[in-house]
Amino acid sequence: MNHDIDVKKMRINCFRQSKVPGEFMLQMRAPGGMVDAKYLSSIEHISKTWGDGNFHFGTRQTFDIPGIKYENIDAVNEYIENYITEVDEELCDVDMDKVAGEPQEWDVKSGYPTIGARNITACVGNYHCICGNMNTYELARKIEPIIFPSHYHIKINISGCPNDCNKAHMCDFGIIGTAKMEYHPERCIACGACVRNCEHGATRVLSLNEDTGRVEKDPCCCVGCGECVRACPAGAWTRSEKKLYKIIIGGRTGRQTPRAGKMFLNWASEDVVLNVLRNWQKFSAWVMDYKPEYLHGGHLIDRAGYKKFKEIILDGVELNPECLVAEDIFWHETEYRSNFNVKPLSMHHTAGPQGE
Amino acid sequence: MGYSLNPDQTAELLNRLAEDYRIYAPKRFPKQGRYSDTDIIRYDRIQTPDEIVWDQKSDYPAKEVISPIQQALFYFTEDEYRESKKAKKPVLLLARPCDITAQLVQEKIYAENGGFKDLYYDRVHNKVKFAVMDCGGGDDTCFCVSMGSNKPENYSLAFKFDENGLKAEVSDDCFADYFDGMPEDDFTPEFVEENELKVTIPDLSDRDVRLALKSHPMWKEFDKRCISCGSCTVACSTCTCFTTRDICYGDNPEVGERRRVTASCQVAGFDQMAGQREIRSTAGDRMRYKILHKFHDHKARFGDRHMCVGCGRCTHMCPEFISISATVNKMADAVDEIKASLADGGNHVE
Ligand code: SF4
Ligand code: SF4
Ligand code: SF4
Ligand code: SF4
Ligand code: SF4
Repeated sequence: MNHDIDVKKMRINCFRQSKVPGEFMLQMRAPGGMVDAKYLSSIEHISKTWGDGNFHFGTRQTFDIPGIKYENIDAVNEYIENYITEVDEELCDVDMDKVAGEPQEWDVKSGYPTIGARNITACVGNYHCICGNMNTYELARKIEPIIFPSHYHIKINISGCPNDCNKAHMCDFGIIGTAKMEYHPERCIACGACVRNCEHGATRVLSLNEDTGRVEKDPCCCVGCGECVRACPAGAWTRSEKKLYKIIIGGRTGRQTPRAGKMFLNWASEDVVLNVLRNWQKFSAWVMDYKPEYLHGGHLIDRAGYKKFKEIILDGVELNPECLVAEDIFWHETEYRSNFNVKPLSMHHTAGPQGE
Repeated sequence: MGYSLNPDQTAELLNRLAEDYRIYAPKRFPKQGRYSDTDIIRYDRIQTPDEIVWDQKSDYPAKEVISPIQQALFYFTEDEYRESKKAKKPVLLLARPCDITAQLVQEKIYAENGGFKDLYYDRVHNKVKFAVMDCGGGDDTCFCVSMGSNKPENYSLAFKFDENGLKAEVSDDCFADYFDGMPEDDFTPEFVEENELKVTIPDLSDRDVRLALKSHPMWKEFDKRCISCGSCTVACSTCTCFTTRDICYGDNPEVGERRRVTASCQVAGFDQMAGQREIRSTAGDRMRYKILHKFHDHKARFGDRHMCVGCGRCTHMCPEFISISATVNKMADAVDEIKASLADGGNHVE
């Protein structure tokens, strides 16, 4: 086989190189992992017409269609115009004529303009789940226009509750839906069901005070999951109407130093989440000296140092009164090679503008 | 006398009534449900007609207005005590037919049981007038017709709300004045004559049948399914069980209050006695107790009617989807089986 293909350009276009020379796998964005089921027939059409007839669930909840031959990519791109327009432009209100906020006209026949900011994944959330505290795909659709299209890389995972089925702890920027729980002692029958549920399924912060017949809580450590609400037969626990979020940063998998993310914000409002994300691009650009490269967000935070990250990412963000911010973060990584970070100074990475 | 009121007149009527009554009705509490972004509907004091939820059954029963989940009975210091304050203003309670019939059961237990009148129940109950609200036939958990609770008698007003306002009938003359100058109409309330759901309550008058039912394997199903949460009994229109708790103020055990707190026969420990012995130690045992209490024992003791009014709230609120009507129907099948076997020579069913 003799091919002359710019695979990097293909990748930016969301066509991933196959081990079979000349073949590619298309990855179609589905923000929050939720789209109208009617698109399944488009997926089938692409797969049967240009792919190898199979379909794979992308690990980032993209529709993945393998086995697309290079020469068919133009036809596929033309066909997915409709999907991109309907899902990204119309459903998520994405401005397709900008990249990272800068004007850049989108050629509608050319497929996805960038791969940098990855598809936002989400568990099904309270659209369906009895544990969920919020609608995950609606939040994803609000975030999509903030991060896409952009060459700056970010992986965002959303979980509807602290059960974190969607692994907010294992990505650059994890969002977990919570609520503050309100106790209505006048409705409490002192049955202890909430205490037991919190103990078995959450943080063991509740106890029944036998002298007062009331439930007491150690509020510092409540994760805001709502297991107490679910357990209560009398409606004596309710979720506050205001949706609040935990933001978990710096989680990653990978060949070097995988690690679970750590909590950056607790009890953040939706506005705070969105405003923080509006600063992500600025932060990434600063760390990489304005040259986007493929790096996990966690590595960017490592290079800048958490305190610098905090400074840039919170710039101009007005925190809601409940919101707590990590003063510092102490990571715990798996170092496949011990003392991985100890190396000649010349091998150290840089962060921030390097001058000429 | 009947009336037909537009929304403005309805608001005016409530204003007039509110001068003399505390008005309670089913009210929506947005996003306070068990699952996120679900609402709860429960009884609360209302001021305006738009607060009244008339087209959906409340999650929690009307009984909460008269016998709340928790209430202070009296306050004590070393050697004295003082009764808790009673509200002076009378109550107008807007409730569905099943809710109003349920009050007959409440009355039986609180005011007539054992020749003793419960002061704290009586002093509220005495001040309550009922307005029966047309329920439009209820929902698929309702079986009031099977339980004979669809046509209450003890009400002063009958209301039928719709988008255009309110139709009302005044059956207690003391309410006539409030309708002064309101447009008359020949409205008379109609009560649901048939529910989608019908329940046949088996005849349990035979002691041998009851004994065999007690050990019938059908109850074992609930050991696995029921989580003993008590949601069904808190939501029940007719459950009356409570416990009392003495709550001491601060670190002084001599000063405090005695509270009445709702209890549930479905929650483990309900019947725990000295020595930690429990009579019904499994969810299945507790379910059997509840079902027999609602569909046999109460009537056997008090004579007039079954305890259950078929409001369906227990079914609606059960997080494990245990349906009371389905359970009674299973019991009816078990009883048929038992009766056939007894007739067959008394071989007990295993
Ligand atoms: S993370 Fe929570 S809301 Fe999402 S699927 Fe898991 S349990 Fe449900
Ligand atoms: S919300 Fe808090 S108190 Fe309630 S179960 Fe979860 S951790 Fe426990
Ligand atoms: S589950 Fe509800 S009623 Fe039971 S102790 Fe907790 S708050 Fe009180
Ligand atoms: S047992 Fe169920 S249906 Fe019967 S009165 Fe109680 S809540 Fe209503
Ligand atoms: S029947 Fe349902 S509501 Fe009642 S205790 Fe069992 S699980 Fe709870």
